[in-house]
Amino acid sequence: MTIPLPVFSVLVLVALAITTAAPVLLLVLLVRDWKRKQLW
Amino acid sequence: MNSVNSAILDPSIGWAILAGFSLLWIALGWYWGRHAQQLDDYVLAGRRVGLALGTATAMATWVTSNTTMAAPQLAFQIGVWGMLGYSLGSVGLLMFAPLARRIRHLMPNGYTSGDFIRIRYGHTAWRVFLAISLFYSLGWLVSMGMAGGILIHALTGIPYHYGMTVILAICVGYTLLGGFRAVIGTDFIQALLILVGLVVIAVLAIRHVGFDSIHAAVLAERPELLNLLMPAAIMFLFNNLLFGIGEIFHSNVWWSRAFSFREGVGFKAYTLAGLLWAPIPIVAGFVALAVPALQLNVPAADMVGPMVAANLLGVTGAVLVLLMVFAALSSSLDSLLAATSILVVEDIYRRHLKPHASAEDMRRAAARIIVGLGVLTWLLCAPRLTTLAELLYFTGAFVASTIWPIAAGLFWRRANAAAAVAGMVLGSAAGLYSYFAIGFYVAALVGAAVSMLCVVAGSLLAPREFDWKQLGEAHPLHKEVAL
Repeated sequence: MTIPLPVFSVLVLVALAITTAAPVLLLVLLVRDWKRKQLW
Repeated sequence: MNSVNSAILDPSIGWAILAGFSLLWIALGWYWGRHAQQLDDYVLAGRRVGLALGTATAMATWVTSNTTMAAPQLAFQIGVWGMLGYSLGSVGLLMFAPLARRIRHLMPNGYTSGDFIRIRYGHTAWRVFLAISLFYSLGWLVSMGMAGGILIHALTGIPYHYGMTVILAICVGYTLLGGFRAVIGTDFIQALLILVGLVVIAVLAIRHVGFDSIHAAVLAERPELLNLLMPAAIMFLFNNLLFGIGEIFHSNVWWSRAFSFREGVGFKAYTLAGLLWAPIPIVAGFVALAVPALQLNVPAADMVGPMVAANLLGVTGAVLVLLMVFAALSSSLDSLLAATSILVVEDIYRRHLKPHASAEDMRRAAARIIVGLGVLTWLLCAPRLTTLAELLYFTGAFVASTIWPIAAGLFWRRANAAAAVAGMVLGSAAGLYSYFAIGFYVAALVGAAVSMLCVVAGSLLAPREFDWKQLGEAHPLHKEVAL
């Protein structure tokens, strides 16, 4: 059973979207922790 | 640009990149570690790590050179299930989230996973656990050291011994200077480098080649890679899942993070790290599937990622891959050095050799052990014996056998010591036997199954009422170092 092109594309695009959002989210959390003086 | 040679950077560029990043990590290590004079500050970053740094360090540490290099290789060899199977490594991080919260709650003054096993199950289980944990740590250190030398050589032409020595020396240097704070701080930057590099390469693959061409070319040349019913790949999926859970549940790399996070952060940090880590092998694997469409000739499967990057981006692509590999290697090596050093200091040095060691003695011992581990790893990596790099694969059976003793020990009051010892010993033996008798893809599966039987049946037959308060006993050194 071959993975259809639309499923394959959606799988990769969702993974890529999360990977793209990850550094942004980490930086936002870093600024939030820094403002709260909870960095470490 | 159709051969591996075109993916190789000029050695002078390689040296320049290594030198630049080495200076940066060392300078950051010194800066972050300049006030870490007390034991808790040095080995656990003061136990106040927040969500951002906590999430990034868990994620970056789990992105090893295997993730950035082997995920594309697996996709190239076993297709879509290779990507998805590798992605299931995130389940270990997700499942550790409730454990991290429980560990921080039950052991606010704990230092190592060895502390937990010793108090929870007694000395016999503790020593069996230490043997497994140290064997695994050494296997991981050696595989990372060798991977460093091999990958730097493949990408830049810098001789294996120089590359391996540089990566080890840098990681030892900044971990020694800055302790756990340096590890966590650099992990954040390394996580960003890995994520951005991967996104750039994947976006270029989509823009230059496109989903249609990639899917059609794979279907024409390697249709089995898109087959959802590939039996070997499905076995790999389950084995990888259990191997990953075993690695995370037992290793002090993850326990030391649970101890170092501030109250309330552990669960969120590990959950978020698992969710953000899961797509990385899928994106990295997708890049490899562009090979048929790009008509690349791949002489070695483990070079498929760098080859695609170099084909799409030329020298910039090769530089990007080198940065990602360097970041992935450093983030795992520094964590291993720091976590293994405190395991050796607490569980060997203080608990076996010098019971009255002061906090200052332990702080000094931790620094010396970081250097000692670096030297030992270098000595084991120097002969470049591939059998040593394969050591890590053997540990699948061992680490999977610790899943149940740890999970039951944290949540099930009646779990008993004899059952835990039997679970680890018989689980490891059965897993190892199946590794040789059947194949690598069942070792962790068998190890975990036998261990589960031993722990559950043994604890039901002879239940023990454990008092959770015992785990909260103040560490003798804690008051003098944590004020």
